[in-house]
Amino acid sequence: MTTSSFERNRCTRISPSAVLDDRLDGKDLEWARDHLRRCEACRERVEDFREMLLRVGRLPSASVGSEAMDQAFALSIPDRLRSQAATRSFEIAPAHATAAPDVPQPAFPEVSAVPDLLTELEREIFRDEPVQDHPTPLGPTAEPIYPTMAASPEEIEPVKPAEAVEPVASLEPEPMAEPAGGESMEPPVPEVLRGSLREVHVDSHRPVPDWAREPDPVQVEPAAAPEDWEREPEPAPEHSKVPVASNVVFDQDPALRFDRESEPATAAPPRKPDTAMRIAVGLGAAACVLLAAVLYEGGWLTGSHKVSSTAATAAVSIHPSPTTRASVSPSASPSATAVTAPVLFTLGNGVSGGTMYRIRPGTAVAGYTRLVFDIHGGGLPTMVVTRPDDSHVAITFKGTNVAGAPVNGIHSYQVAGVEPGVQQGPDGAITIDLARPARVTAFTLAATGSYAWRLVVDLHTT
Amino acid sequence: MEREFYLDFPLVLNYVARLLDDIDGAAAITCAAFRQVGDGLRHRSSADGLRRAEVFRAATELSRLALRPKRWFRRQRAAQVTLEGFPQPEARRALRRDTVQRALTALPFEARAMVLLRDFVKLSYDELAEVVDVAPRKLVHALDRSRAEFGEIYDYIKF
Repeated sequence: MTTSSFERNRCTRISPSAVLDDRLDGKDLEWARDHLRRCEACRERVEDFREMLLRVGRLPSASVGSEAMDQAFALSIPDRLRSQAATRSFEIAPAHATAAPDVPQPAFPEVSAVPDLLTELEREIFRDEPVQDHPTPLGPTAEPIYPTMAASPEEIEPVKPAEAVEPVASLEPEPMAEPAGGESMEPPVPEVLRGSLREVHVDSHRPVPDWAREPDPVQVEPAAAPEDWEREPEPAPEHSKVPVASNVVFDQDPALRFDRESEPATAAPPRKPDTAMRIAVGLGAAACVLLAAVLYEGGWLTGSHKVSSTAATAAVSIHPSPTTRASVSPSASPSATAVTAPVLFTLGNGVSGGTMYRIRPGTAVAGYTRLVFDIHGGGLPTMVVTRPDDSHVAITFKGTNVAGAPVNGIHSYQVAGVEPGVQQGPDGAITIDLARPARVTAFTLAATGSYAWRLVVDLHTT
Repeated sequence: MEREFYLDFPLVLNYVARLLDDIDGAAAITCAAFRQVGDGLRHRSSADGLRRAEVFRAATELSRLALRPKRWFRRQRAAQVTLEGFPQPEARRALRRDTVQRALTALPFEARAMVLLRDFVKLSYDELAEVVDVAPRKLVHALDRSRAEFGEIYDYIKF
């Protein structure tokens, strides 16, 4: 089998899998051999694939002990099929069937006295629960239904290890002659109840009932259990919690559907439908998300008082009040502003004579607004970033002309606007009106390439 | 039936562990796969026994379901099977530090299943076609793609 494509200018006419898996014959095989003799690329690919194949083939396999295999067999194979294993003639499974069980036998219902239809029905119901005798409570009556359960507890007492296990009648389809050999030919009643055995079903859409889990080994005492079952036909013992973590399948969707037929026959009490609750929870969550989104987008998430202050700030910047103007008016001394306002940063190299000619806003990141001040000149002037109040950030460029820098149209989520530059002697001042409280960071960048000297001020949302 | 189970169970278990990259959760899926196939024998003569391809197909599908993204409103209903002495701690550690396994885990599920079934389990092409539900004539190309992707990932992460 060949292909006729080229991949990255590399010949891929030969399918390595076809070569390695011996899928070629006749003329194809001859052509492939001939091509491999001539084409180095295809030879390399085949060798690469062979290495991959060998690597995967050499992956180590975890060994499964015989006890684990017996447990798995008891869990996996339905009773109907398991009972046919009386003719097993190989020795792979260790003989644990004769061991005395630590817990009561799984008390399969004695169905020999009931009609065949009921037998089949119950087998379908019970085949998935080797640990349990009945999946649902049997009703309000206190007397047990099945003769086996009504019998004395001695009938399900564990047998002694030295004796052969008496096969359970319900598991034996027909009486078989006892072989003289002893244990090797006896029917393999798998050991299904061990202390660590734990099974929770993955196969149905029913929630895992408590009775399907492994009973607590401390509570399951062989002597006391039958009396408990007789007293209470609705066994609901406290069980150990099934661990949630460290298992891939533990929180998965139900996987198996093989007992779907038995679901209608299950005499389970009607469960309260939780669809309405799920819908309600889902709608509530969706409403919360929508509400949060609306609040966030509308800027109301930070509180109503901040909204009003933002509006006031914006109004002030558009219609400057005397108070606001005073801080940046030419009559006011910038040094006085710098003294009264807390200084956030002092940057630059003290070069004078430059011009701050452009302010570039950037709002690519939602969390902050970046303002880049481009400065012509021989270097960076001394720049003092101050915070006169929560709504303003003032930047004083020492010995720099800032009057010509355009400031129109600079606004963002954090920035309500930038006031025109005010020249006070040799120094220039730029005031940024904040739309909301912001955290200020600043740094400088040297001139490089087509970029001038720059002061970068980031206004982060607090 | 029983012979087939005892012969194939370790292989299926290791395949599922490699496929899931989780040796702890592999036992439950493997048991469920055998159970599913065994239960399917009810509808036909049980003398056929467990077909290997059916078991691997069931195990693959159950593994796919197990790896499916979980919805937040799903209840936690699932299985855990604790087998006696399995997995061994060294097997669990080996699964974690194996570079080949990490490359396999990075593969898409279909490609991973295909590579494992062919090169690890060594299924025949007919069995593989039945398990992964790909026409046999397309299987060579599908294997080519899967192995090539696996090789690229392995070359990328091996150092």
